[in-house]
Amino acid sequence: MNESPFENLKLELRRGCLVLAVLAQLRAEHYGYTLRKALADEGLEIEESTLYPLLRRLETQGLLTSEWREEDRRNKRFYRLSKEGKVVLKQLLEEWRGMDESLRRIFQESKV
Amino acid sequence: MNLLNRYLQAVGRLLPKARRDDIIAELRVNILSQMEDREEELGRPLSEDEQAEILRHHGNPTIIAGRYREGNLGLAFGVQLIGPEMFPFYKNILVLNLSITLLILFPASLIVRAVFPGILIPLVAQVSIITLIFALLDRYKGAVLDKWDPRKLPALKAAAEEGPTARNIFEFISVAVGTAWLALTPQWPYIMLGPGALYLPALDMKFWPRWPLFYGAIVTLLCAELVLRFFTLFRWLPRRQARILDLILRGIGVTTGVILYFQGPYVVSSQYQDVAEWANVTFHISVAVAVAIHLWRAGWLLFSLIRERHQMLPARQY
Repeated sequence: MNESPFENLKLELRRGCLVLAVLAQLRAEHYGYTLRKALADEGLEIEESTLYPLLRRLETQGLLTSEWREEDRRNKRFYRLSKEGKVVLKQLLEEWRGMDESLRRIFQESKV
Repeated sequence: MNLLNRYLQAVGRLLPKARRDDIIAELRVNILSQMEDREEELGRPLSEDEQAEILRHHGNPTIIAGRYREGNLGLAFGVQLIGPEMFPFYKNILVLNLSITLLILFPASLIVRAVFPGILIPLVAQVSIITLIFALLDRYKGAVLDKWDPRKLPALKAAAEEGPTARNIFEFISVAVGTAWLALTPQWPYIMLGPGALYLPALDMKFWPRWPLFYGAIVTLLCAELVLRFFTLFRWLPRRQARILDLILRGIGVTTGVILYFQGPYVVSSQYQDVAEWANVTFHISVAVAVAIHLWRAGWLLFSLIRERHQMLPARQY
C-alpha cells in the first residue's frame, strides 16, 4: 500500500534517531525487551520487529557487544555499548547537537 | 506456549541456518518477558487470543525473518522497488532461478553454438519477471502480510533432535559403505577395479612395502568414523563433543593423507610401467581430493565450534 508522504518522511526522520537512542540507552546493559521498555518509558516507542534486528546489525558493526547470561532462571542476551560504540556515540551526539542548533535557528527565522 | 512455539517455528524456517537457533532463542525470551509482563498487569494467565494479539503485534514471521537476514539491503532505481524485508527472498529466488537456467541452457547453447543470444535473452527475461513480481509484492505487502493470524500458523513439527535425521542416516550409510568397500578390496579387487581386476595377476604389480601400514591406518580411521556416525545417528553424544571427535578424526585423516601424498611410488611393475605410472597418478589425485575434503570439513567444524563458543548458544529450544 502507498503510505502518505508524511508517514514516509516520519519513517526517515525516525530511522537515524532510533540508532542514536538505542546506542545512548545501551550505555547501561539491557536485553531486548527491557531495552524496548526503557525506550518506551522515555517516550520513544519502537516496534520489536525493528529493534531486535537493529541490535544485531549494530553488534555486527562492532558498536555493541553482547553475551548470553542467565537471569531469573532464563538465558537472556544482554547488549552493551562497545568501546568503539562509545566513540561513535560521542561523535553522533556532537553531530546531533549541531543539527539541532541549526534547525532551531532555521525554525526561528522562518517562524515555524 | 504452543502458539509462541508455532510462531518461532515459522520465523525460524526463513532464517539462515547458521544464526537460526541464536535468533530464535533471543526472540523467545523477549516475547516471553513481554507476555509475563502482560500477565502481571492483568493478574491472570493470558488467553490464547491475548497471546495471539502480542504475536500479531510482534509482526508477520516473513517480515521478521527478512529483517534479520541481510541488514538493510534493497533494490532501488530512483525509487525503492524492493525493500529490506523482501530483498533476501528476492535475491535467493533470483540466484536459484538463474543457476538452474545457466545449468540447463549453457550446455544446450554450446551445442547449437549460440552462446550469448541463447543464454542472455532467457536470463534478462527471468531477472525482469522476478524483479517485477517482487516489486509488486513489496508494494502491496502491507495489504497481504498484515492480514495474518498467529492461530493459523502451521502446527509444530516434531523436534529434529528427537530421532535420526535424513542427513545423519545418509552420512552413516555412506561411511559404512565406504568402509566395507575399502576393507573388502584386498580380498575382492573386483569391487574397486571391476573387470580390470582380472588382469591384475598378469600385470605383476608390487605394492609399496609400507602400504599395508597406511592401508590399516585408513581402514581403522574409517571404522572410528563409522562408530562416531553411529553414536551421532542416535544422538548418544552431545553435539559439541561429537564435533570435537569428528574434528580430531579429520585432523588424523589430513595428516595421514599428507604423509601418504609425499610417499610412493605406490605400485611398481617390471613389465607394464605405463600402467603402474597411471595407477600412481590416479592414487596421488585420489589422496589429494581426500585431503581437500577432510580439510574443508575440518575447517567447517572448527568454525562451528568457535562460533558456538563465542555465542554461548543456549540449548535448542524448539
